[in-house]
Amino acid sequence: MLSALIIIPLVSAVIIGLTPLKEKNTRNLAIVTSVTILAINIALSWQFDFRQEGFQFAQNITWIEWIGLDYHLGIDGLSFPLVLLNSLLTLVAIVATNPTTQRPRLYYSMLFLLSAGAAGAFLAQDLLLFFLFYELEIVPLYFLIAIWGGPKRGYAAMKFLLYTALSGILVLASFLGLVWVTGETTFDYSVLRSHVLPLSTQLWLLVPLLIGIFIKIPIFPFHTWLPDAHVQASTPISVLLAGVLLKLGTYALLRFGVGLFLEGWVYLAPWLAILAGISALYGASCAIAQTDMKKVVAYSSIAHMAYILLAVTATTRLSMTAAVFQMVSHGLISAFLFLLVGMVYNKTGSRDVNYLRGLLNPERGLPVTGGLMILGVMASSGLPGMVGFISEFLVFRGSFPIFPIPTLMCLVGTGLTAVYFLLVINKVFFGRLTESLTQIPPVQWKEHAPAFVLLLLIIAFGVKPDWVIHWSEVQAIALLTGG
Amino acid sequence: MVSTSVKRSKSFLVDEYIARLEKGDALLDDSPQNLVEVVGILKSYGVVLDAYSINLCYIANTQFLKLFPFFKYFNGEVNSNKIAKFIWHDRINYEYAEYCMKSMFWHGGGGLDAYLDTPEFAAETENLIKAYFKYNPLMLGLHKIFPDFLPEQMRQMAYYSGLGQFWRVMSDIFIDLSDSYDRGEIKCIPDVVKFILDGLVADATRPITYTVKVGDQEYNILPESAGLTFLADTAVPYVEAIFFRGTPFTGTVSYNAQAYEIPYDPGMFNYGALYADPLPIGGAGIPPTLLMQDMRHFLPDYLHQLYRENSIRGEGDLRVQICESFQKSMFCVTTAAVQGLAPHSLDTNDAEELTANRKYLRGWLNRIIQSQVIKVNSNTDV
Repeated sequence: MLSALIIIPLVSAVIIGLTPLKEKNTRNLAIVTSVTILAINIALSWQFDFRQEGFQFAQNITWIEWIGLDYHLGIDGLSFPLVLLNSLLTLVAIVATNPTTQRPRLYYSMLFLLSAGAAGAFLAQDLLLFFLFYELEIVPLYFLIAIWGGPKRGYAAMKFLLYTALSGILVLASFLGLVWVTGETTFDYSVLRSHVLPLSTQLWLLVPLLIGIFIKIPIFPFHTWLPDAHVQASTPISVLLAGVLLKLGTYALLRFGVGLFLEGWVYLAPWLAILAGISALYGASCAIAQTDMKKVVAYSSIAHMAYILLAVTATTRLSMTAAVFQMVSHGLISAFLFLLVGMVYNKTGSRDVNYLRGLLNPERGLPVTGGLMILGVMASSGLPGMVGFISEFLVFRGSFPIFPIPTLMCLVGTGLTAVYFLLVINKVFFGRLTESLTQIPPVQWKEHAPAFVLLLLIIAFGVKPDWVIHWSEVQAIALLTGG
Repeated sequence: MVSTSVKRSKSFLVDEYIARLEKGDALLDDSPQNLVEVVGILKSYGVVLDAYSINLCYIANTQFLKLFPFFKYFNGEVNSNKIAKFIWHDRINYEYAEYCMKSMFWHGGGGLDAYLDTPEFAAETENLIKAYFKYNPLMLGLHKIFPDFLPEQMRQMAYYSGLGQFWRVMSDIFIDLSDSYDRGEIKCIPDVVKFILDGLVADATRPITYTVKVGDQEYNILPESAGLTFLADTAVPYVEAIFFRGTPFTGTVSYNAQAYEIPYDPGMFNYGALYADPLPIGGAGIPPTLLMQDMRHFLPDYLHQLYRENSIRGEGDLRVQICESFQKSMFCVTTAAVQGLAPHSLDTNDAEELTANRKYLRGWLNRIIQSQVIKVNSNTDV
């Protein structure tokens, strides 16, 4: 069943790419496929036993024996929410795609390859398999930015490619080193995890892994590819980039960083916590200075992803659960914000906060978009009633007893979230509507539909967080106990 | 190549508009679309003014001195069906008429305002109060303790009646204008201005009176002997209070009196209908949103069709379009008022009369040029 989550998007990518379908049929097929994948995911959730530690629905097929590569899939409480998030956001991205997009077959084909890569990475229980899927998603994302991106798409795509390729190399180096020092002939996660390595060895292997992961997450100072990639990518790609692909990094942090090198992780944790605090403050400070709405959200992503790092460094039961929850929370909220920023850009032709004014105007502005944006900002700022509050509260509550200073730094970052987002809201949505924008086309309700779905989840999980927590709590804690 | 827009000084623009008025043109540019908008919106405005006028007169004639006039908007017809409609807000926004009355009352001016300070008015009001509360010692006692309260209510009632009578005349003018347009007699904006001017002149000396009845006894609150007339004592103060001065409601700008953002001299206010920004951010004051809501129910079909075709929003921004058309029409009415009150005929060739006219027009246009007139004609930068 797990293979379906990878094979269906892969096959769809091939079919859509090679079959001469009409534009409308391509889009419809893509929607049907993504709905099918989401339905499979939901069906999985009915059968998944959240109280059980370890992997479920495992599939293990020897693939390329001589290099130790097995097709080994499994899902646990750590990967389950992320796989679900991947399928949901893939559907959202497809629905949010402009129906008249250029080269639709290539576009949807790349999108499904990306989705398959992410799903594969979350499900892989073989380190080399993980690396394969981790690299697989680089190629389609490169094309998605380079072909359908903004004016500087070439630069952004190449920067993304170089950074992420380097990240992959470092991750691979760590994996190869691990296999070499353990003397194993397989890259199987469970087998490698059973080895207890000396601290110094763990540190040697962990450091390149962390650098590679920090490029992906991204964490300061390895973050510079992200703002460019986000700004140049189209709205649906930004949704996937922020909502899913960054989570590959934090997932790898938990699964491999903590899972494989726990002692080394605990040794480095104080420094990493400080780095998380610095990254949070840096991201927030940069966001305040931005004039492009998308860049504000991009830098906000850097800050919010740092909270995940903070939570993981604390390695308490609460903080580990919080880390997973924050991944889901950030995935939903950042996707929501990028959708709305994309809507503003689509209708007004601009994202410049110094140009846009008064978009909340009920007669000629974008009042619903503005209202949703205010809710999104509230969610990102951690206002109670929404998922952002719960996730950030859990992160800080779980981390403060262990690393109070970095936690306080991140708390300040949360406060700054309200600052930079309110600045944007105040400039862009309040005041008198810009004269040159008095004839912007209205937004149809179906254009807002993906945003409303995400909002529903943001509020639902904010009101009933245990729906998400109980997915991952057992496994998140098991990472610390060797389970 | 860098393109530049032509910027003209304020005095240049004032001279330009003086020349237009002297030539017989209106403040508003003459164009087929403007004509359709102005006539159409004045038709719906006329229907709404009819309702406002009836209600204001009803309140003045029957709700005077009532401390809790719960059903003042019902025009004497109170039944469950109407109450349900009121609660559902399926009604005319009579509150807007009251806002106009209060604005006019506050700014004052003209003979009506002056008469309310006369001993004759005070005496008649006192007689009325004594008669009305003859069997109510509590109210009479309170009146002794607070002698200004009840007379102040009657001063307001005088304005209710005055404004109601003014709008009665204007409503008829606007509806007749629309009928005339339908017959093909109105072909351009100057024709609209002339029609309104003729209407104003015809009723210029129409007396404004206000009489109430307590039992069988009548009380002439505004007697004929006061010499109050339609043009000088209601129309001119109305134009001044509603078109020009207005009231500093919150809207596109937040006014802070403590920070001296509002002029000391009410004569320097520029918050009236001619200055209103049609793009509000939800404020109820500027522009007259309640009026726009009323007018949208009575738009002629041709105007409704024009709005649907003109806007990328279809009917989504109807109130904004209505407000823009309404402002255009108010510039026509203002033109008629300016022409009507000029010391001499604007097309005179006599040098002395011309000088007097120009001095007169400059006074008006120095204020009008700061309104939305440039934007409405939307061709020049100030």
